[in-house]
This record gives sequence, C-alpha cells and structure tokens, in this order.
Amino acid sequence: MNRPVYTPISLDVNGRNYRIRVDHRWTLLRVLRDSLDLTGAKRGCDRGECGACTVIVDGKSVYACQILVMQVGKRKVCTIEGMGTVSNLHPIQRAFLENDGAQCGYCSPAFILATKALLDINVDPSEHQIKRALSGIICRCAAYSRIIESAKECIGTLDEKSKN
Amino acid sequence: MVIGKSVQRRDLPEKLTGNAKYTADIKLPGMLYGKILRSVYPFAHINSINSSKTLKLQGVVSMLTPFDVPTGYIALDMPILDTTVRFVGDEVAAVAATDEYIAQQAIELLDVNYSPLPFVLNVEDALKSNAPKIHETGNLIGSEPIVLIRGDVEEGFRNCDHIFEETFTTPAHSGSALEPRAVIAMWEDDFLTIWKCSRGVHSDRKAISSALCIDPNKVRVIGPHLGGGFGNKDESRLAAIVAILAYRAGRPVKIELSREEEFIAGRCRHSTSTHIKMGVSSAGIISAIQVETIMNTGAYLASGPGVIRRAGQAALYLYRCPNVRYDGYLVYTNRPSAGSYRALGAPQGHFALEVMADKIAHSLKIDPLDFRLMNHVDATGQPGIRVTPPSEIIDTQPVEGGIPFSSNGLRQCLDLGSTAIHWRNIKASNYSDTSVKKTGIGMSMFIYRGGPGGKAQARVKLNHDGTVQLITGLMDVGEGATTVLCQITANELSIPYDAVRATFADTYYTPNAPVTAGSSATFSTGLAVQRAAGLLKNSIISFVASNLDVLPSDLEMKDGYVYRGSSSNTKLSFSDIGYLTRETPLEINASLMPGSKDFIINSFGAHFARVEVDVTTGQVEIIQYIAAHDSGQILNPSLAVNQVEGGISQMLGFTLTEEMIIDDLTGGIVNPRYLEHKSPTILDIPPIEVIFADVLDPEGPFGAKALGELPSIGVAPAIVNAIHDAIGIWVHDLPASPNRILELLDNI
Repeated sequence: MNRPVYTPISLDVNGRNYRIRVDHRWTLLRVLRDSLDLTGAKRGCDRGECGACTVIVDGKSVYACQILVMQVGKRKVCTIEGMGTVSNLHPIQRAFLENDGAQCGYCSPAFILATKALLDINVDPSEHQIKRALSGIICRCAAYSRIIESAKECIGTLDEKSKN
Repeated sequence: MVIGKSVQRRDLPEKLTGNAKYTADIKLPGMLYGKILRSVYPFAHINSINSSKTLKLQGVVSMLTPFDVPTGYIALDMPILDTTVRFVGDEVAAVAATDEYIAQQAIELLDVNYSPLPFVLNVEDALKSNAPKIHETGNLIGSEPIVLIRGDVEEGFRNCDHIFEETFTTPAHSGSALEPRAVIAMWEDDFLTIWKCSRGVHSDRKAISSALCIDPNKVRVIGPHLGGGFGNKDESRLAAIVAILAYRAGRPVKIELSREEEFIAGRCRHSTSTHIKMGVSSAGIISAIQVETIMNTGAYLASGPGVIRRAGQAALYLYRCPNVRYDGYLVYTNRPSAGSYRALGAPQGHFALEVMADKIAHSLKIDPLDFRLMNHVDATGQPGIRVTPPSEIIDTQPVEGGIPFSSNGLRQCLDLGSTAIHWRNIKASNYSDTSVKKTGIGMSMFIYRGGPGGKAQARVKLNHDGTVQLITGLMDVGEGATTVLCQITANELSIPYDAVRATFADTYYTPNAPVTAGSSATFSTGLAVQRAAGLLKNSIISFVASNLDVLPSDLEMKDGYVYRGSSSNTKLSFSDIGYLTRETPLEINASLMPGSKDFIINSFGAHFARVEVDVTTGQVEIIQYIAAHDSGQILNPSLAVNQVEGGISQMLGFTLTEEMIIDDLTGGIVNPRYLEHKSPTILDIPPIEVIFADVLDPEGPFGAKALGELPSIGVAPAIVNAIHDAIGIWVHDLPASPNRILELLDNI
C-alpha cells in the first residue's frame, strides 16, 4: 500500500472555506465525515451503489464516496448541514417531516439533497422525473411511497431564497 | 386524545438535518480503527497465525487471534474467536491501528495457516450420515425435528375427498440495512462502554459481559440511532472483539463493517424447503394439513430455533383445521449464518401454505377468496381442547385448539381488501388479453404474534420543569416506537405530546428491556408505559390532594393541569407540581409480563395484488396492491401506513429479485452488493393502499396489537398467486425472477 501523501487544499462546503491537509486517497465522503465532522452524509457502501453519501457539488447530486477530495477543486459542495436547522427547517425538510418521509433516517439527508438538486433545475417535475432523480438512493426501510409524497409536496413551495 | 393521531415522528427533525448520531458518526479522542480478517475457506482448521509482519507495521496497536482470545462464548456454538472457521467470511482475527488504511494493511499481512476441511453447503448433503460435522453436536439441530401436532393428520387424510401435495422453496436473502454494523468500545479502568448498532441494549450487555466474563454492572451499552435493523443487528460477537482490542490498546476502538461484510457477516433470512400435504373435501373444507420444513441455518444457530418454530405457525393456525402436523428441521451448513429477519420464518411458511391454498382452490374450481372465507380461522380459534393450565399465559404461537382469540379481524381484512380491489368484478370479467403483457389478480392472508413479548418495564418521572420523562431500555429500531410510547404517556396523563421527553436504549439510565423483536414494542412496552403513566397520574393527584388538603376524588387532571373540581378555577400546573416536588421527584416504575391467560393474542391481514406479466421478458410489474391489516387500534396512522408500505416494498425483493447466491466450489457469496443482490429501488414501488380493520383488542394498550413484521408476510404468495392468474404457471421457488418465469413458460 502506498505511503500517505498529504497536500494542503481549500474546500468550499456550505459556503464556508475550509483549509485542510488531505491524504490523496481520501474521498470527499471521508473528508466530510472525518476531517470536517459533517456526518450527515452517510457511508452505506463506499462503492457508489446505495447513495447514502449523496451531496450536491456545483448543483448536481453526486455520490461523495465516488469523488476523491483532490478532484473537487473549487467546486461548491452542499451537504445536509448546509440546509435548514432543527428549529428552522428548509421547506424540503419540512415536507419530509410532514409527510413522514423516512423511517430509520439513514438515507434522509441523501433524499433531501437529491430532491433539492432536482427542484433547483426543474421547478415542476413529474412523478416519474422525481422517481428518476431519486432512484440512485436506496431506502432499505423502503419508505419510498412517503419519500415520493414528500418530494411532490415540495413542488411550487420553494421560493428563490430556498434555492442555491 | 393524542392516541390515534398522526403526530410527527419524534426524532425526525434531527434525522432530516443530519444531526442525529448513528454509531459510525461518533468519534472519541485517541480512537483507533479496527478491521477483521475473515476466512477464505468455508470450513477449515486454523493451525497458526504468523503476525510478525503485522506487528512490525507502524501504527498497529492491538491484535486479537483465536490463539490469544479469552475463553468466553457469544452463544453456545460460538466462541469469541475459534480455531475452526465455518463459512467464507467467518471471523479469524482482528487488528486495531491508528487509521483504517493501516488496519486493512495489517490484516492482509497476517499469515494464516489453514487446513481446509470438506464442507457442505446444502441441507440435503448436510443431513447425510457421512456429512462433515460443522459442530460436534451434529448438523441436525437438537438431533431431531421439532414436531407439533393437533388432532390426527392420518385420520384427516382418511376422511377427505382430495389430497394435494407440493414442495416450495425460498432462498436466503439479506436484510442489509443501509447502515453497516459499527461498534465503538472504550474502557475507563475496568468499566466498559460500548456504542453499537443494536436492537436491544440490555440483551447486548448480558451477552457481552458474559462472553468477556465481567460483571454486567461494569458494562454500559448505548444504542445510538439505528440505521435499519429489520430483526438483524442482535448479535454481539463484533462488540466483544472490539472490546478486547480496546482493552489491549488502552484506547477506544471503532470497527465499521464494509457493505460486503454486512452481506457476508450480517445475518440473512433462512432458506427453506417446505413440503406440504393437505386433505380437502369436494366442497373445499380442509380436514388435514401436514407440513415439513427444512431450514438452512448456515454455520451458526443464532435465532434459528425461533425461526423454524414460527415457520410452522401458518400451517397450525391460519386455517380452521382439526388435524395438523408440522415437522421442522433446522440444519447447520457451511453457509453464512442466517438469523433474525423481519417475521422470522413466517414469510417462508405462508408462501408455501398460501400458494398451496390457491392451487387447491383452482383445482376444485373454487374462487380463492371463497376458499379462504370458508376455511379461515375465526374468533373462536381452532377446534380441540385447551392443554395450557388455566393459570398460565397462552402462547402467541399455540398448537392446541379450544382457545379463542382476544380479537380476530381476519374476516374483516378479507372483506375490506377484496372490496377495495373489486375482486368479484375482476374475477367475473373473464379478462384474457392478447398482448404480450398479461394481467392477473392474486391474494394471500396471514396470521402472526399479536405483540406479547418478554417482561416489559417502563419508568416515568415528573421533571421539575413540568415535563414528564419516559425512560425505557427499549431500542427504537427506526420504526417509531419512541413516538408511539410518548403518545401513550401523554394520553394517560392528559398532557401535550411535546411535554413528554424520552430516554431510551442506554443500559446506564434505563430499566431492563427485551429486544425490539416480534413486533412487541407497542403492545408489550406500551402496556408497561401505560401502567407506569397511570400510576404517576395517581401519585400526582395524591400529592396535590395533600397539598391543597382536599380529597383525591375532588381533583381532575386535564390539559397539563390538576383542577379542584371540574368547574373550579383552583388549579396547579404540571410545572407547579414539578417545582414543588423538585427535591423528591414523583417517579414510577412499572413492570409486567404481557399476555393473556384466556385468549390467544394474534394480528392478522390479507393482501391483494394485481400484476402485469410480460411473457416475452418474464418481467412482473405490480400495478395495484391492497393491504388490509388487523393490528387492533392504530395508535399513529401515519407511522402505521409507512410501516405497512415499507414492509411490502422491502419484500418485493424477496418475492421477485433478491437471492444470496453461494458459489458451490468455494462456498463464497457471489453477490454481496446491493446491485447484484437486487434490493428494490424507488422505481420498483407499486401504488399501495393500506386499510386498517376496525378492531379494538381488549388486551392491548388502547386496543392496539402488533404491526411491524406483518406486512412482510403476505407479499410473496399474493404476487405469486397473481402471476398464476395472469399466465397460468405456478412459481414454487422464489424469487419469481424474469429468468424463472421464462423457464417455467418454456416448460408448459
């Protein structure tokens, strides 16, 4: 196994600039969770199958486990910690709360971010477009029906402020 | 009344904002990372492990091998580590290092000298007299099958007009919760704290302290939020290994399993082969049911005895029948260990019985719905004579007849579900389509334990700020037990739901509790919570009575206040009372053994599916799904609907796609990944309509019965019966994958 090579980088996460030293082998997911303590992105498979690590990079929902942190460069990363807070939920989070769009919650940050990435580019998606946009994330509790309802409820509720 | 209301899931805001901490999210100062070395052989003796290269690696801090492991046992057939490994993926050794790259390199540098042994993967081979013995006790667990008998099946077969026989099989498949198992262990002197993915912190504490031979009072187990369990995550071998690594390192250690390890070392559903024989009159009345199930438990027993028992319950109790016999064989093989997975054995048993029911109905030209209406068990229970002494609690999985149910809404489920899907109209419409896509309709019904579990305990306490603390040792496995138990507390004390605070799943702060299993949390812990909250109400009233110098009967509790007489303005709020009692807070512990001495407590349901089968591809699409459930009164409709939809959606995998494939030559799992195991995605989900029967169970808290596991039971038979209705073939072996359907169509 290669010896670690550490390089100082700067990373834009949730509008904040982080200056950190990273090992070249580290994925964005690992850096978010271990270096920045942003544990909302979950590790489910580390191989781009389950989608629990979904974050938004420059407006697109991506698997954080499939990007080396060295590849991120100046792109803007948005994680669940950049959305609402418990006392001030983002409208998408509120829709998931009101429609019970979760059970164990392990996939919830991923579904919320993927919903946001969709609605940011398509204000009025069809149910099929919603399903396609969310199909890269697995919910093993299979609360899919509630997740679809939650995402549908967000249509038309996002003002400009709630976007990017 | 907050009971029966869809109050929001309690921990959801934390989960939706990423604030909720799951085990893997926790990081301790100085924490090391561990990795497990797993067997590459399905059966082998380990002669030696040369660790010299590992120990030279910079960053390696502690190690555990079967040659230096303490002597304790995790279970009767499982030491903490063993010099014999019994499946590909069995734990061999473990290392803790300063980061996971070093830990990974460290286990790869371990030089293990194995003597591979002849191995056996399937039950037929394992039961042969010359088969390699996986454990000294022999491959057939208990050396004989479990045999459960009511009446006389031979008599039943003599007195019938038709005998039907068939064999059905179901494969192993994995629950593979999205959160891989993780454990953190930390020692402070001789006190051990464990954070782990758990479905019962108290039972984990017992298992860990017993394996490590330490005083349970020196062990604290904390269950952070659980990222899905589905009956899994009840074992503690990983926790014991991590605890020893941490002890030797003198630092905290964390191990997180990879997704592959989760498939391999997490526990799958038992694969089964079920032979079923039924005797029926020409009019369609069942007189005898005989079922033999052979179940593959893999390398370790785990919860196998419970699973093989429960696989027989459909045969014993779903249809009214005087003569029944069930033989269950539980067999060791060198496959990955099976274990607890949602409804333990019931989906396998119901698949065989409920497809058989349709085959019989079809053969006798009776509508499958009518066949069930004629034969289903009703409120009076089974024919026969009670054997259980009057002073004893009735088992939730009885064999004997002569005992009524506390409530039985099965008939209501059949009526509500068949009406919702327009069963009679569709059946009468003589649909025969000419396109490549054929439509069909099918149904199933099911029975399951109604909620009594182990001894349940709860503590409630009036806090000094007027809120009420609910304290139980129960683990909320993501299903929402916390929410419902807080509703029960609030309702009993007539306070707002938000005025209840919850402390769960930490052995340090909570009274003993059973594992979250058998769909028992709402019923069993719910009863204890209801009792504790009721007693707290009395003690608050007594306190106020003596404080105001009035009789308790003059006081009334409502809306977070205690009033003197209903029309009086004299009142004390819960915060007033909390403040007055701050020196000696009012606190109640309640414990009880849930169950009834007079009734069987069971839940029921009926599922209906409309499918479309593409005869050119073998693809099955579910176009409509109706689920009618009797789980007594529904305490939180929104959570209950989510639970039913989720259970059905999850089990579409068992029915149509999922299978753990083992390579015959190596014994290894071929597909330990979501994409190849084929777990359902959001694109696979049909429209599901959930209907709850109007049943008030006299034994349950506010009339409630079990729900969590039931939705998973009826899915496979309803869909397989609908496939037959569409294309005229019977699927006897799950999953009903496109390949299998095409193969069966080719053989017509």
